[in-house]
Amino acid sequence: MTAPLKDITPAERARSTSFYEASARTRLELLLDAGSFVEFIGPEQREVSPHLKIFDLPEQFDDGIVVGHGRLDGAQVFVAAQEGRFMGGAFGEVHGAKLTGLLRAARQIGSIPVLILFDTGGVRLQEANAGELAIAEIMRAVMEARSSGVKVIGLIGGRSGCYGGGGLIAGCCSALAVSEPGRIAVSGPEVIETNRGVEEFDSRDRALVWRTMGGKHRRLLGAADVFAADNVQDFREAALELLGLVGPLGLERLKAEQERLADRLRRYGACEDAVDIWTAEGIVHAETVPELPADQFIALADRIGRTSRDAR
Amino acid sequence: MTTWQNNRAARDVRIAAGAGLARGKVVEARDATRLLEAVIRPGDRVCLEGDNQKQADLLSQALLAVDLSRVNDLHMVQSGVVLPEHLDLFDRGVAKRLDYAYSGPQSARIARMLFGGKIELGAVHTYLELFARYFIDLTPQVALIAAVSADREGNLYTGPNTEDTPTVVEATAFKDGIVIAQVNEIAETVPRVDIPSDRVHFIVKSDKPFFVEPLFTRDPAAITEGQILTAMLAIKGIYAPYGVQRLNHGIGFSTAAIELLLPTYGERLGLKGKIATHFALNPHPALIPAIESGWVRQIHSFGSEVGMDEYIRARSDVYFTGPDGSLRSNRAFCQTAGLYACDMFIGSTLQIDLQGNSSTVTTSRIAGFGGAPNMGADARGRRHPSEPWLKAGAEAAPDGAALLRRGRKLVVQIGETFGDKNVPLFVEKLDAIELAEKLNLELAPIMIYGDDVTHIVTEEGVANLLLCRTAREREQAIRGVAGYTDVGRRRDHGMVARLRERGVIRRPEDLGINPLDADRSLLAARSIKDLVRWSGGLYAPPSKFRNW
Repeated sequence: MTAPLKDITPAERARSTSFYEASARTRLELLLDAGSFVEFIGPEQREVSPHLKIFDLPEQFDDGIVVGHGRLDGAQVFVAAQEGRFMGGAFGEVHGAKLTGLLRAARQIGSIPVLILFDTGGVRLQEANAGELAIAEIMRAVMEARSSGVKVIGLIGGRSGCYGGGGLIAGCCSALAVSEPGRIAVSGPEVIETNRGVEEFDSRDRALVWRTMGGKHRRLLGAADVFAADNVQDFREAALELLGLVGPLGLERLKAEQERLADRLRRYGACEDAVDIWTAEGIVHAETVPELPADQFIALADRIGRTSRDAR
Repeated sequence: MTTWQNNRAARDVRIAAGAGLARGKVVEARDATRLLEAVIRPGDRVCLEGDNQKQADLLSQALLAVDLSRVNDLHMVQSGVVLPEHLDLFDRGVAKRLDYAYSGPQSARIARMLFGGKIELGAVHTYLELFARYFIDLTPQVALIAAVSADREGNLYTGPNTEDTPTVVEATAFKDGIVIAQVNEIAETVPRVDIPSDRVHFIVKSDKPFFVEPLFTRDPAAITEGQILTAMLAIKGIYAPYGVQRLNHGIGFSTAAIELLLPTYGERLGLKGKIATHFALNPHPALIPAIESGWVRQIHSFGSEVGMDEYIRARSDVYFTGPDGSLRSNRAFCQTAGLYACDMFIGSTLQIDLQGNSSTVTTSRIAGFGGAPNMGADARGRRHPSEPWLKAGAEAAPDGAALLRRGRKLVVQIGETFGDKNVPLFVEKLDAIELAEKLNLELAPIMIYGDDVTHIVTEEGVANLLLCRTAREREQAIRGVAGYTDVGRRRDHGMVARLRERGVIRRPEDLGINPLDADRSLLAARSIKDLVRWSGGLYAPPSKFRNW
């Protein structure tokens, strides 16, 4: 029969649990120190979306996001985890308000960092206005929290990726960690194909999708600072590493970020494909990057990949 | 005076008419339509190679463009109606009558055209049945086939997707018909001869490779815990007690789950070498971990699967390969193997009724039959004994004399009580019957008849229909594993309890299975990337299955 799980230590369980496959609650349970998580506005309070019932759509008692606080290696952290399996992790009114409130609390306290486990396709179309407003509020709340000295770390490796407004919020974070299946972008593959044609972007060519938006490309470009293997323990270690790296936000840093992005556009604006960028970065046999196992890729990225550590 | 070689003479006239367009046997792609106009006559029976996987797409486009005053009212006899052009032929009037077996991707349109009277339907067949009729009363006058390469003489290499080609060519070429092949390239020599040149009359070189659809790749990432539970029930409740070694799997996610549980759950149950050693099966990528773990001794295949070529080449101990090293598939032989030499078929379906009849037809879709009916049927001509076959026969008729008792093939339907989009698997009346009434068919399109089904597996348990002695017991055994569907909720609880005491119905706990153990961590591979890793990098999945 199946071996019971009781003899396995939390770290072993976190190591053997795919971040990509896990639910938002499992991710938090295994990411944080065992038993330390305390939820705000939990499902028992039934703060559901006021909009979905108009469309005869099922609600979820946590509206697809889990927020709260816990400990990471003993230190207090605020956490938010989106549930990509509920409406693709999309931002609605309540969903957005829970994250905004968490970030504002972090700003007030000032010393406790925030981890956001993104897993989202963007704004929930059924509550588009409220969702768009939520994105704007969250972006402001992230920047205000960072100005007050709060580190805001994004962890990206879920099924729904980090798209739409989620991609914008990720761009505001102090630093990001990403795994291979994780994707970061604003417009999704289908949106680009619909608007610009299949010749511009074939959304069914999944190898193209991943080498354009996937974790490896984002790490090599410096959009994400740490590459995690697809398990919760690796994301825990990535979060700890990033918390140690991130510096304070100020005008100089924003200028440096502007320069980093402008430089990236100058260098690669004319590239047709991610492989061209990797080749320009000096990677030999760049076309094999998607096939590299995590450890070999991390070695490559540490050698060649850019970072935004001095910027952002 | 009676003449006895009219057909041969007619064939020679047709060849002569086409020869003007050819250099030797080779015709330029731009002349393909003119070639077809020259050799095809109105009302001809034409096999346009639409297989389950590979498609003679250039020739189907060429046929669609013919001058209707020269070619019309054709009778298409082909196993697969897969490309839009296959049906455009009927819209345009090039073809009128259709006999076929499978229409997966065109199932909605073919239903509309049948209702609209655009197609005069002969019958929907099983593969073996259509192949059989090629030799009796549906012999093609012209066959339009697809191959990977040809030499100048016309010897053809069909590559891993040989599929139906040898059968189609045999029936056509040896009965005074014309064989025209589209090939991806013309070479000095072909890697191996799948079709000898004297059976091929014209060759058309295509600019791009013929279309092949990856039909048998199931992404392990999409397998649910419900499917894992049904897979555990099947392994422990059926594979193990009957000792099933020779079998065929359907293409659903539940059977993919079984394939991925063999090296983990199956290993733990000590079943390695005792079950699932010989398959009639396409090269399913999901079987790679079981092959790599030494479970599988031999696989014969109907067709191939996109991305599996190098893996198959490197595992010739397991697969059938030619002197060139690549897979040799053959649908007719593999169907025969599945019918006569396998002790079990296990697959999913869309609807099961109270007698156990199953169908994948819904009122708006006619997907055809393909291979499942022969895989999922007892072969009445079978005479060799085997342990699972005899055990099943004994369960069905315990009182008969052992030496006169027929065995039974195990025919297992597996699925969750609520399928895709929460549609119930169990129904009081099949949509297929409604369809037959609407279309005035003489037979409802039943995929597997209830009297062939021996077991039904759902997350609620295993129903062994061999042990049912009356129609009412059979109905209650089916209701007893139908969960919370309307069919399941109308069960007679007392009778279901008695059937459970007799072992006709076995719940997960009766089999020592804890449903909470049905976890994705049990899968030997949880993603396509895991399959690539298991294969040592030999499996090259098509881009649409990647997430890296």
